[in-house]
Amino acid sequence: MAKIVVLGAGISGHAAASHLRRKLPKEHEVVVVSPNSNYQWIPSNIWVGIGRMKSEKILFPLAPLYKKKHIGYKQAKAVSFYPEGDQKEQKPYVLAEYVFGEQKGQQEKITYDYLINATGPKLNFEATEGLIPGKNKAYSVCTYTHADHAWEGLKKLIEQMKQGKKAKILIGTGHAKSTCQGAAFEYILNVEEELRKHKVRDMAEVTWISNEYQLGDFGMDGMLLSYGSMTMKSHEMIEMIFEDRDIKWILGAGVNKIEDGVAHYENLEGEQKSEIYDFAMLIPSFSGHGFKAFDKNENDITEKLFKGFMIVDANYTPKPYEEWSVQDWPETYQNPTYKNIFAPGIAFAPPHSISKPRKSKNGTEIFPAPPRTGMPSGITAKIVADNIIDTIKNGKESLTHKGSMGNMGAACIASAGFGMTTGSGVSITTYPIVPDYEKYPKTQGRQLSKTFGEIGLAGHWLKLSLHYAFIYKAKMRPFWWLIPE
Amino acid sequence: MTQRISKYQRFKMMNPIIQFFKYIYLSIKIMLIVAGGHGSTRKVN
Ligand SMILES: Cc1cc2nc3c(=O)[nH]c(=O)nc-3n(C[C@H](O)[C@H](O)[C@H](O)COP(=O)(O)OP(=O)(O)OC[C@H]3O[C@@H](n4cnc5c(N)ncnc54)[C@H](O)[C@@H]3O)c2cc1C
Repeated sequence: MAKIVVLGAGISGHAAASHLRRKLPKEHEVVVVSPNSNYQWIPSNIWVGIGRMKSEKILFPLAPLYKKKHIGYKQAKAVSFYPEGDQKEQKPYVLAEYVFGEQKGQQEKITYDYLINATGPKLNFEATEGLIPGKNKAYSVCTYTHADHAWEGLKKLIEQMKQGKKAKILIGTGHAKSTCQGAAFEYILNVEEELRKHKVRDMAEVTWISNEYQLGDFGMDGMLLSYGSMTMKSHEMIEMIFEDRDIKWILGAGVNKIEDGVAHYENLEGEQKSEIYDFAMLIPSFSGHGFKAFDKNENDITEKLFKGFMIVDANYTPKPYEEWSVQDWPETYQNPTYKNIFAPGIAFAPPHSISKPRKSKNGTEIFPAPPRTGMPSGITAKIVADNIIDTIKNGKESLTHKGSMGNMGAACIASAGFGMTTGSGVSITTYPIVPDYEKYPKTQGRQLSKTFGEIGLAGHWLKLSLHYAFIYKAKMRPFWWLIPE
Repeated sequence: MTQRISKYQRFKMMNPIIQFFKYIYLSIKIMLIVAGGHGSTRKVN
């Protein structure tokens, strides 16, 4: 009998727990440890942030589902890792602290045979002075509560604009090393469309601010893509969209300080600049959770498990951009020291960024960190679950399921406006996610037939279909597993 | 504002009938790319 502990119930942790439970006989125990009592479909936060969807529509409580499906659940947060146990506890364990109910504040040693760390990112607002969701007129849409606040802020501003106020709206990245440009891109297009629907577009100046060197980088070093019968670069496509919608842009900007209605940033020229705004939505930098790890004698072994995020089977040897290779990227998401520990989704430490690293003239690094969107987060979770299942069933380590982001496709369906007949979406797919310059030397490391962009109403329907399909899947309704990650 | 998307292009982008077929086409294409498999890169070379 094996016990698998899954830390986190986001896209990755929940996918791993569901697949493990479906495929493993009941004598094996699957336990999820997560501080948030709800599952949330994060991609739809964009619509919560423009008031077109209630946050209740994107979440559901985990406890009843886990009870029904015989998945153990502890509403707690992992604090530290003991992969060898300690003097009193022979088995490896995670020290977790309950965050709710009678046990709130109590700590428990949760032992395991296999551990899946799917704790995603820490939203590191502290890394940018003054960037606090809902303060200084700056908002976030990274969680449903943040998105609710963002809508309150935007709604107030729209009302003021209806009374004749001219406004400046700033949307993008709130740190020199932020990632998730895709989410900010969706939000700026949705906000712009909402302003039109409320008939106040002419009262607003809408500006994109980002640590990207070029538009359309998205933390993926940009891409060459097919668009209709043409082949174009992603920056040309995004430029076309922004110009068409009268959205201005500031690039190579490392936002370092937020004051009430003012964003201060350094650009690649090394200049310190600032931009005023009446409403901003800025994505913070993502970091690891700062977990500590100890061996059985309680010596600190954090560096064996973490490098910010969790160390897995990637090649972390520092090397220049020109020498980066797809082979650097992990395939099984297994920790090399403790082979019963895995980290899918955003929780694993990437070997390096995907976008070319750039420094300002003052030496400040200003470039996007690598994104790990929902699709790869789900796929890597399933790979980890399948390898654990095989290992348990075969009685010996089995790592036949592999999936490198250098050999995996992803789709980014970016909403560009909500409405069954008036909505729009920018659908972009890339294959592979991490460019493979050896395989595809002439097309910027990607396969052109599988890397394409489309703009139109169908994109909105697609994003809406994904919303319903993935919530259905997450609720583990009949035949949920037929829906791919 | 620079009109970068022509009226005809915009009509095609927003026409529900054209977009319905596009929706079917994109759903299949995306499914093939995403669910079409993933794997190792290390054994290739
Ligand atoms: C606004 C927004 C829009 C997005 N839109 C898209 C999109 O359209 N398409 C797309 O593919 N991707 C999108 N993404 C990215 C996608 O949401 C992420 O890739 C995905 O959520 C990552 O999944 P994850 O499970 O690794 O992390 P998360 O979803 O962040 O889950 C982490 C889990 O760990 C839990 N946790 C945190 N700390 C602890 C702890 N100490 N102990 C135990 N558990 C802990 C959390 O409560 C959470 O349940 C978007 C992201 C944002 C912010």
